[in-house]
Amino acid sequence: MMIELSELQDAAQKAFPADGLVPDRDVSWKLIAEMGWLMIDLPEADGGLGLGRDALATILFEQGRVLSTAPLIPALLALQAIVASPDLAGREDWIGRICGGEYVPLNLLPGSASVQADGTLAGRITGVFEADMASHVLAGLPGRYVLIPNDAPGVTVTERPLWDRSRRLFDIALDGFRPDPALVLAEDEAAARVHDRISPAAMVALAADSLGGASAALDLTVEYLKTRRQFDRPLAMFQALKHRCADLKTHIASAEALLWSRCIDDAASNIDLGAMKAMATDTYFMVVEEMIQLHGGIGLTEEHQSHLFLKRALLNMQLCGSADNWREAAGRQALAKFAG
Amino acid sequence: MTSEAHLETLRGEVRGWLDVHAPKGWRNARQSHEQFAADQRAWFLKLVEGGYAIPHWPAEWPGGGRSLAEQKVIYEELTRADCPRLLLSFVSTYHAAATLLECGSEAQKARYLPAILKGETWCQGFSEPNAGSDLAALKARAVRKGDVYVVSGQKVWSTMAQYADKCLLLVRTGADGPKQAGITFLLMDMKAKGVTVRPIHQIQGDEEYCEVFLDDVEVPVADRVGEEGAGWAVAQATLSSERGLTLMELSYRMRGAMHYIASLIRKNGLENDAGVLRDFGQLVTRADAACAIADRFLANRIAGIERVGDASLVKNTYSRVLREYSALGLRLGRMDEQYLAPIVFGDLNTGNFMADFMNSYAWTIAGGSEEVQRNIISERMLGMQREPKGWAA
Repeated sequence: MMIELSELQDAAQKAFPADGLVPDRDVSWKLIAEMGWLMIDLPEADGGLGLGRDALATILFEQGRVLSTAPLIPALLALQAIVASPDLAGREDWIGRICGGEYVPLNLLPGSASVQADGTLAGRITGVFEADMASHVLAGLPGRYVLIPNDAPGVTVTERPLWDRSRRLFDIALDGFRPDPALVLAEDEAAARVHDRISPAAMVALAADSLGGASAALDLTVEYLKTRRQFDRPLAMFQALKHRCADLKTHIASAEALLWSRCIDDAASNIDLGAMKAMATDTYFMVVEEMIQLHGGIGLTEEHQSHLFLKRALLNMQLCGSADNWREAAGRQALAKFAG
Repeated sequence: MTSEAHLETLRGEVRGWLDVHAPKGWRNARQSHEQFAADQRAWFLKLVEGGYAIPHWPAEWPGGGRSLAEQKVIYEELTRADCPRLLLSFVSTYHAAATLLECGSEAQKARYLPAILKGETWCQGFSEPNAGSDLAALKARAVRKGDVYVVSGQKVWSTMAQYADKCLLLVRTGADGPKQAGITFLLMDMKAKGVTVRPIHQIQGDEEYCEVFLDDVEVPVADRVGEEGAGWAVAQATLSSERGLTLMELSYRMRGAMHYIASLIRKNGLENDAGVLRDFGQLVTRADAACAIADRFLANRIAGIERVGDASLVKNTYSRVLREYSALGLRLGRMDEQYLAPIVFGDLNTGNFMADFMNSYAWTIAGGSEEVQRNIISERMLGMQREPKGWAA
């Protein structure tokens, strides 16, 4: 089956128009499930559309543009982890439930848990988006992927209020939680394999969200400069401001080119994709930092949309590995390629 | 015509030819500008013989008639084999050829195009001391006297003019109306009486550009391209001749040159210095992005969906990363880079980081400066309003 990326893009823009920033979460989630976006990169053998990472990136780029509130990324990653766990009991059932709109997120920040003497788990999982609407959390823990029912004994879900208004984040505390062996996806080496399988999609997803957000932020900024008048002329006429916008456009365009080429490059390593994500989140930050400055005083007001982009960009920088770590890994990888 | 299989067949042909003919060790043999020119002439004639020198020319020329997709394959293979870039013949095969093919008379084409394939080289006489980014402000004066124009003035930044046989010359024949209106395009013999060429000594020790002084030089009217006063439109054909292959080639060469940085990291025992590794990792990623945007640009051109300003995005990406590359090499090379060392004439990524750094300005300044590109991006791509014209000091 061939679906053109431009068709996906059109569909995403129609479903989430550019003037509807931070759309209602529950309405968005229902719409996303109806549009079948959870099935985009699911293999056809598992009932999905079997499209590539570029299709995933196309949708998430558009979701980033409107500061999407629906947790598509954590849900897609949890789904991928399940797909990558052939031994999970009821695997097909889980895939069907998630594609049908039952929300099961993967945590996008580290978690830790240790097995107690009585066989229960104790620990904490951070970075769980929209846990209030989840039935289970797919916890990625060191050496272990396990499905945790939100309402199980020994599980406490606590919201951690964020500066970012477009998303809600929760911690999950485990104390006396007894994991159901049937809900353990992978342990030890198998867990490392699951991690390597889902890491590329995480990087592509975050990079696409970031560059979609960056391009929307630049569009809004340029539009403002074109209409705001001072000294009897539009601000956009001042070359000092033009050149800053041109540089932002150049940064976005090159980071985007890297995203579109790497997301379909089978030879790209997880480190290549991590470094790509770092470039994308850096670019997002660079653009939103300038967005506020170029808007002047209005950019400091809550009623204006600039701060929504700023806060989302800053949170994206913290998810799925820091830019410093990815860059260092990319440097090490390049050094190894040029063996002395 | 240009299916994937067809392109891969071409790739195999080019690769096979280069296995036999690609020059080796040419960097070591480039200790002077004369050696550079000699190696360029020999390599160009070899490529003509192989049928890979002018893939962008029309099909009636040997080795011509290649689609942009095919040209891309040829350039990828030339880069992969680390062949010398064709600098000396660049203006001849791109700018001169495009001008003649699009705007030249049949007599001009017959006279000049075959000579290019025999090694005749051209330079460009466009910029002047007071007409750089504002090219239309040029002042070199041409006065018609019977069958000739008599030309006086000064040109500058003429690449490789010291070796050129002919010159694409923009002159002013009229002073009325908009400044673009009085410009005429001439084909000038560099051996003509009254032409004086002076190479410009660049800060890194190379001599890639020249000043050209014109003192009552006679150019036959038959060597005018287009009508008198219509030179600006002809010059647009000249300047749009290059279609993105150069920046793709340069980006990949820069990516390939990262081994120089890796060597410095090893040499200075910095293999586990997190700060250095981060800078290196960021540079490599930025260089990959430069390759990706150059590829994307060419793909869009091939598909006919290029947008105004796209070329500026590619150029400003490449030129900035080139600077970052050489600056990191300078930093990691430490004091070693401060001692004078031989340069490789006519090359951008040589591992002599002081020379490479100084050379990197060529790409932020020449071919439309970084600032001019920013104007194009902001005004023509982002639609930011132009300043009103007519400011006078």
